[in-house]
Amino acid sequence: MSKTVLQSGKPVLQLENLSKTYTLGKRDVPALSNLNLTVNAGEFVAIMGPSGSGKTTLLNVIGCIDKPTKGKVLLDGINASELPENQLYKIRRDKMGFVFQTFNLLPYLNARENVELPMEGRGKSKSEQKKRASELLAMVGLSGREEHRPQRLSAGEQQRVAIARALANNPAIILADEPTGNLDSENKQGIIKLLANLNLTQGTTIIMVTHDSQAARNTERMLLLKDGKIVKEMKGLHVNKKNKTCPHCGASIQINDDTCPTCKKPVYASDELF
Amino acid sequence: MGIVSRAVRNISRRKIRALLVIIALGFSLAIMISIPAGVLANQKTANAVSSNLSNIINQTGATINQTLTQIDCSLAPSFSGFGFGSGTSGGSGSGPSFVFGGGSTSGGSGFTPGQFGGGTVGGYFGGGAFGGGQASPMNESLYTDINSSISGVAAVEPILQASEGNNVTRNLDFNGYTRTITTLDVTYQIEGIPLTASLVDNYPILPTNITVGSNLQAGDSGVVLLSENNSAYFGAGVGDAVTILGQSFTVVGIYSPSSVSDTQTLYMNLSDAQAVTNNTGYITSLTVFAQNSDVVSTVASSISTLHPELTVTTAQDRESALSTEESGYTTALANANASDSQTYSTAVEEIIVVVAATSLIVLFVMLYTVKERTKEIGTLKAIGFSNSTVMGQFMLEGILLSMIAGVVGIAIGSIAAPTLASLLLPSVGGRSAAGAVVVSGTTRFGGLAVATLTPELVLLGFGVAILLGTLGSLYPAWRAAKIRPAEAMRYE
Repeated sequence: MSKTVLQSGKPVLQLENLSKTYTLGKRDVPALSNLNLTVNAGEFVAIMGPSGSGKTTLLNVIGCIDKPTKGKVLLDGINASELPENQLYKIRRDKMGFVFQTFNLLPYLNARENVELPMEGRGKSKSEQKKRASELLAMVGLSGREEHRPQRLSAGEQQRVAIARALANNPAIILADEPTGNLDSENKQGIIKLLANLNLTQGTTIIMVTHDSQAARNTERMLLLKDGKIVKEMKGLHVNKKNKTCPHCGASIQINDDTCPTCKKPVYASDELF
Repeated sequence: MGIVSRAVRNISRRKIRALLVIIALGFSLAIMISIPAGVLANQKTANAVSSNLSNIINQTGATINQTLTQIDCSLAPSFSGFGFGSGTSGGSGSGPSFVFGGGSTSGGSGFTPGQFGGGTVGGYFGGGAFGGGQASPMNESLYTDINSSISGVAAVEPILQASEGNNVTRNLDFNGYTRTITTLDVTYQIEGIPLTASLVDNYPILPTNITVGSNLQAGDSGVVLLSENNSAYFGAGVGDAVTILGQSFTVVGIYSPSSVSDTQTLYMNLSDAQAVTNNTGYITSLTVFAQNSDVVSTVASSISTLHPELTVTTAQDRESALSTEESGYTTALANANASDSQTYSTAVEEIIVVVAATSLIVLFVMLYTVKERTKEIGTLKAIGFSNSTVMGQFMLEGILLSMIAGVVGIAIGSIAAPTLASLLLPSVGGRSAAGAVVVSGTTRFGGLAVATLTPELVLLGFGVAILLGTLGSLYPAWRAAKIRPAEAMRYE
């Protein structure tokens, strides 16, 4: 299993003076206005906000499925806002991993085939694709269920398949759109824990849009969006609170520690709530 | 997991829909290949008819030249229509189509009702029509009478003709008048001729083209000479016994008829024929051989004077009948050509309609599929599928669907091409448009060509299926490619 080559701490996403305006009839409706944001590699970020605050628009712009009206989107150093559609799909394929609220698995493909989808057209042999898909499914806890079609999997399992699919091409960023929105509380916890573990063990950068404050609290960094602007930024609970280990060196830590007693690096283990 | 297997799975995902679409497309394609098959069959039939008709005319002309001294006499009603069979032929008229050559004058005997049908003539040619002719038997004594009392006569051949078959009632349309006529569908026709040495050796009273076995000999009795058709009908070859009207005969030979009016005629001794048909002492016609061609007309008029009840036909009469026939043939051929071009233009119109219908089926089915799968397409694009991959995916699905339909269409066409062609084209399968040449019976004019799928048509059908699949899915696939990846988000 190859690990992400991104260096922790290096900016993987930079939004500069980002604006997006929709035209509804004669009215211009601003969805994002002059938004600035930097996300570093290895961060686990939650974007929160009421309906109409611009969360989905922001996610779409970051995910290169919508273009900003103004401003820059730098993804892993590439200015995606200037790329034409016939280049953008490659960014989506190679740099992004999408996780959807409604899982969006192809119903006529089994779990493994769904995970293989993004690997198509990347020059990997069939057996390599198959091997990697099986590894990813094992990583999300679905060993032995590779041949199951989505209808034979529970909602939580389907979302795990979707996460495995998002990881297929070793993306710079996982973009999760309300990943727990269609799940019961037990599965919700499982998915958040899975994302947190991926972030810790693989160093995967995760940007998650959510309504769910409990899910948001378990991230490192919470951004509150309102009227197309980031109005508040807060620390989340330490993603690894349960195990009480440092995300950097794995040493034992205490709740409310600001820095790891062993490696002296900052950790997010605050009890501070939203 | 390649693009092809995804397309296959998507088609098989909605089985009923796929089935319905494949059947609909299959039928369209079957129609599409049946129409040209029908047109080709039509052309083949028309060609066969025209070449056979010219052969008949040539043969008849040759026969007339060979039989310049021959005078045919019969008691048959005189018809105003055409005909050159000169009392020796009795072709079957069947179907509301004209019968050419056969079905001429006196023809089948009408005696012993119940056992033999009525006259064998039925049909129409051009405007002239006749039907229900019934030859009257005449007493054998006429033979001696003519033979002894008219000078210039070299020999007289008394003939008994009888037809065996089934009575069929039909409505015939004569220039707008519909008449119900019962005709006999002849299964075989008996021709009894006197097998005396002087006649057999000196006069052309027997068929000459023996293909198997030998010809009848002077003095033969209890034996028959079958035509090729008879042989097939009885399932009998040389040396076999055949039962004719309850009596057993041995087959001595099989001949190939030189004229269409002979195809169902079997030859036997006159006395045998009279015995099996319960007509001892009766004949149906006489062939008088004049001593030379110079006295033919004198002899003919002498016969007419002596026996005004007889219809007397000489080579001259036959020649004029032939020229009538020739002009009829020309008309028929012109009609056939007119009908051919009508068939052709109908075929073109129908093919345009079917092509349009087929493309529209593919178009709407694929548009519906794309609409239904908007979210799936959005997802594929969000996870990094290019526009061209998405487009290719849907093109492939449409083409694959059409290819399966193509195979189904070819299968349907190979079974139903004749039916489809006859339903869709004006003059295939025994139906006539604008008095076209349509031939009834199976062997008469080389047969009606049946619409069959040639390998070229099968390939063409498959090619057209792929082409229409491609055309029909082009726009839906383009629509699919244009779906925004944002559709993947929260779209229910």
